Amino acid sequence: MSETNLQVALRKLPDNASEAIVSETFFAPYVLKALGFSQSDGEVIPQFDTEKGAADYAVRKNLSDDIFLHTQTNPYLICELKGRDINLEEGSAQYKKAVQQLHKKYLLTPKCKSVKWGLLTNSCHIQLFRKHSKVIHPATPCLEVSPETLDHIIEIIKQKIEKPTKALTVAIYNNKGGVGKTTTTVNLASILALAKKRVLVVDYDPNQQDLTSALGLKLSEGQVYKAIDTPDISLRDAIQRYVPPIKNTTENDLGFDVIPADRVLVDLEEYQLRQKWRSHELQKKLAEFRAVYDYILIDSPPNWRVFSQQALCAADVVIIPTKHNNLFSLENSVTVTREFIPDIQKTKNGATPVALPIFFNGEKITPYQLQEAQKALIELIKQAKRGQDNKPKFDLQPYFFPKYTNSRKDLHVFQLPSYANIANAAFSRIPAVYRDKSAREYYISLAKEYFLHG
Amino acid sequence: MASLSDIGNLMHLYLDEIEPGEATTAPDFLIRASAQVLNEKCDRNWVPIIVKETGKDQYQVIGNSFVYAVAEEAGLDRVWCVVADNSDATAEISRVLSGEEVPKINLSKASRDEITAALQYLIELPDSDLKKVKLATATNRIDEAPRQYWKTLEPIANLKCGITRGKKLTALKSVFYLTPQPMPEVITDPAILKSLTATELKKMAKKRGISGYSKLKKSELISVLAEHN
Repeated sequence: MSETNLQVALRKLPDNASEAIVSETFFAPYVLKALGFSQSDGEVIPQFDTEKGAADYAVRKNLSDDIFLHTQTNPYLICELKGRDINLEEGSAQYKKAVQQLHKKYLLTPKCKSVKWGLLTNSCHIQLFRKHSKVIHPATPCLEVSPETLDHIIEIIKQKIEKPTKALTVAIYNNKGGVGKTTTTVNLASILALAKKRVLVVDYDPNQQDLTSALGLKLSEGQVYKAIDTPDISLRDAIQRYVPPIKNTTENDLGFDVIPADRVLVDLEEYQLRQKWRSHELQKKLAEFRAVYDYILIDSPPNWRVFSQQALCAADVVIIPTKHNNLFSLENSVTVTREFIPDIQKTKNGATPVALPIFFNGEKITPYQLQEAQKALIELIKQAKRGQDNKPKFDLQPYFFPKYTNSRKDLHVFQLPSYANIANAAFSRIPAVYRDKSAREYYISLAKEYFLHG
Repeated sequence: MASLSDIGNLMHLYLDEIEPGEATTAPDFLIRASAQVLNEKCDRNWVPIIVKETGKDQYQVIGNSFVYAVAEEAGLDRVWCVVADNSDATAEISRVLSGEEVPKINLSKASRDEITAALQYLIELPDSDLKKVKLATATNRIDEAPRQYWKTLEPIANLKCGITRGKKLTALKSVFYLTPQPMPEVITDPAILKSLTATELKKMAKKRGISGYSKLKKSELISVLAEHN
């Protein structure tokens, strides 16, 4: 079999190819071309200035009279190239540094607001990242490149960037109960809806059914069970519209869609469900909605059984609410980040879900308590770094202290302030953010911390 | 060709040729203890003082005045200095980078993240007057207010975000400055209209030839002005 152009180009690269050589003899003429971007038509800008640095390449397809090279606006994909002297194996120090650079210096700058993808490669490894508004998560694992696999890898990347999914799927999960998963889910959904986003919420905790009841909706009567259980049946029939019963509807006319908890699922035993359902059942069923909604939020039960596993498997990212004064909720967030999520990634053979940094949810916090919580987190980071109890070493820092860098000892953890009206809102069956200005502001700050541009 | 200018050079200058400039506010202990460390270790200030030339063999400290105070306390004859130029910009950069002056951001244009960072800094200062201010609330209300038109920081006191006139508002002046845009002739944005007084709104209604405005309440004035173009 004759070799493809890509393979030839890769083979010709010397073992010690510098960044310039990888870039000019391999990446720009072959990889970008294979991905469908033409340099001669002006779809590629080298050294694209993001105002925090120059990204190696920014690319975008031309629109009829909008040549990217001329307008230089709305880049679509940002590429960061490295030489072969930089080790981009996942987890290596140089890999982490390169990812940081791609995210902070390029993808998250105002000039890259329109960017949907980030690509990192040194021709030995390659990884695609997806950017959904402010959230960046890996779209592929960090893949090893060889002449045999290259064409296949480029094809996978091409398919992804040609057909971007609209929705970001978020699981709200902590296997410790009482940390405010349901409250977070309903209020976040409401805030995103108020920001004119299309939102679908899934109550995937059939035993508690808290979310369904917090919104005053009727339980599903077997629709969810049937859809998950039968290949050709859609979850569409289970969807109910939630419109907040508020008089002043000028700003609240959006509401959001909900798949309520299913009454039928309560009576089924775990072993029965395990016999026929695998962890990707929910992921499959949600596929049709990913092109429709901006956000799909899944509220999951506080344990590690069928429903939580399916919820995490369906998710791109996982939000882990914690309580600063509850050590178990912090320890459990470690278990989720370090064990459950990697397990799910392995079964999916993919790079998602990933955990977003934890936040402290709605408890009064004194400076002393904050210090104690930070100490506890530092201790957990140390333990994970050592890799005790036969567990592999794991770097928790980005999940606990996302602002901490080698040059900045920034220990800030995002806090959602305590507020009685948020917790009490459940009684009225209306999310607090619709009824209370302060509550709305708190959740706006949460939504902007994680999801939305400021 | 060697330049005759000393700007940018590291020089070993006599301490008594250097005027202290803006004095340091560091506590006595830090100065004495640092001077002892300096004496015991090597008598060389590896962190240089930033000075500008004010005359022949005359200099003035513009940055790292703490190091100057320590060198004085340690009894050094000569100190290592970096000679900077005379501009105000250089003086400001030197003070800011040596941590002796808190830099300010332009509230007329600042991003939400920048506002959050500034407020968080003020709230977390020891004995801060803003200790009880809720970060999420204050950030959101300031971010959404028509701050591009503000000529002073006074309107923040009307946002009901816990920042009242007096000490709290004064504290904000240490991190924010403004470069206001002129108010547009015809304002229809309800958020901006809301920040004005009823009297100002009535004046505006008169100018635009709206009839029957005198009996309207503020909220009604806002909706009339927002629609009437």
